[in-house]
Amino acid sequence: MCGMTFPTNENVLVGLDRADDAGVYRVTDDIALIQTVDFFTPIVDDPYWFGQIAAANALSDVYAMGGVPKTAMNLVAFPLKDMDISILRQIIQGGLDKMTEAGVVLVGGHSVEDKELKYGLSVTGFIHPDRILTKKNLRAGDRLILTKPLGTGIVNTAIKGGLASDDIIERVTHLMATLNRKAAEVMSHYPVHACTDITGFGLLGHMAEMVSDTPFGIRLTSKAIPILPEAIEYAGMGLVPAGAYKNREFRECMVDFVPSVDRLVQDILFDPQTSGGLLIGVDPDRAEDLVTELKDQGAEDAAVIGEVTTEPRERIVVD
Amino acid sequence: MMKEIDCRGLACPAPVLQTKEALERGHPSVIKVVVDNEASKQNVARFMTSQNLEVSIQEVGSEFHIIGTVGGRPAPESIVDEKPEGAHRKIMVMVTNNCMGHGDDELGKKLMVSFLKTLKEMGEELWRLVFVNNGVKLTIQGSNVLPIIQEHEKAGIHILVCGTCLTHFNLLDQKKVGETTNMLDIVTAMQLADKVITI
Repeated sequence: MCGMTFPTNENVLVGLDRADDAGVYRVTDDIALIQTVDFFTPIVDDPYWFGQIAAANALSDVYAMGGVPKTAMNLVAFPLKDMDISILRQIIQGGLDKMTEAGVVLVGGHSVEDKELKYGLSVTGFIHPDRILTKKNLRAGDRLILTKPLGTGIVNTAIKGGLASDDIIERVTHLMATLNRKAAEVMSHYPVHACTDITGFGLLGHMAEMVSDTPFGIRLTSKAIPILPEAIEYAGMGLVPAGAYKNREFRECMVDFVPSVDRLVQDILFDPQTSGGLLIGVDPDRAEDLVTELKDQGAEDAAVIGEVTTEPRERIVVD
Repeated sequence: MMKEIDCRGLACPAPVLQTKEALERGHPSVIKVVVDNEASKQNVARFMTSQNLEVSIQEVGSEFHIIGTVGGRPAPESIVDEKPEGAHRKIMVMVTNNCMGHGDDELGKKLMVSFLKTLKEMGEELWRLVFVNNGVKLTIQGSNVLPIIQEHEKAGIHILVCGTCLTHFNLLDQKKVGETTNMLDIVTAMQLADKVITI
């Protein structure tokens, strides 16, 4: 939205000027409102699971800000003429079950008729104004923790192409439907300085946002990054979504790969994720404890994948 | 036999799927795929490479023409069927473990050294060496048979190493020989081979 001006006021704590996972507005000195909206076209065939994934994905932005989601509204675009209404019921049931799991109340919604099916949520949450976790508050030495494995974009491309196995479809469906709620609860007890969730820009795209216009860079250990093994296989077959190439083109200039990093792994680091995990910047002394507790609480793939450096500034070195 | 497909205006993975289908259905010796975006260009080229086609890319205005040639050289216009006169049989050897046989692993490792050395006696019929599961450990830094496998590679034998397996063992960046591959490649290789020997 370059070139447009957006009026703001002093109660906007996180707004368009420094785009983050969600907007934050101070209501009182103790309470701020977190608002976010997200919706998309189906990524899995099963409508109930699509509903769950879309809801988990929309709720994730609130968790990534360190907040607690409270209410939500459905956003629905549905091809009434071409599709049976029972499909919509299943999608909404999926979304509702995910909201219930998150302790979120559905308070309304809006639907339109559209050629293409879309579903998502507008979510409102609360947070203490002093405890907001933005992307850009990393400190030198912080360890970076990722809570879900990468590769969902490539696997989803293989699903679209009918080339994914049943096992991986099930795995990736559950993964995308998993709320970042537990991970967010766990991290709230640790000295976390910055957080974001991994979605459309891919791991490196979101990392680039964390360090651009800051005095810091990131050193990433590719071997430590949790990756779905099938994603490597499908990437080798050319099942890489266009978004991954766009992400690469856009952020390549900030990334240095050492030559031993396999091209397929590089693609996965740029792969757009749906309902991806949290990327957490935490004090180095507590990083291992945080990983252990995340794993205990169900984020089995959580791992320290890199650290914040001062040199080279605003660059990500992947070895 | 040249097949041309127009994938302009199509988003990933459609161009790859159409290329795959065209290759499977018509068995063309040359395939030309026309795409109009960078992602499709790279994906189709990558898919053709994974199918062992020789790939060349022409930029024509805002379009890309990706041309894949089976066997690395354009075939004559006439229909080429079966093996041409005088061609060798193609033997694929699949290595599924880092030792040969069961019973004693120490012995198995010695046998594997000897086996991989002796393989060259197959002469020009030895076509592809595929490493899967524990077998991928033979292709990494520090493996005592690495020089032998590298010699096979130098001799023109196609070495394929299972990417899923390397990832599983966390060895992806330690592989020192051959191409990282996937199950589709392995299955295609099995289909193309005249004989598959599994160790």
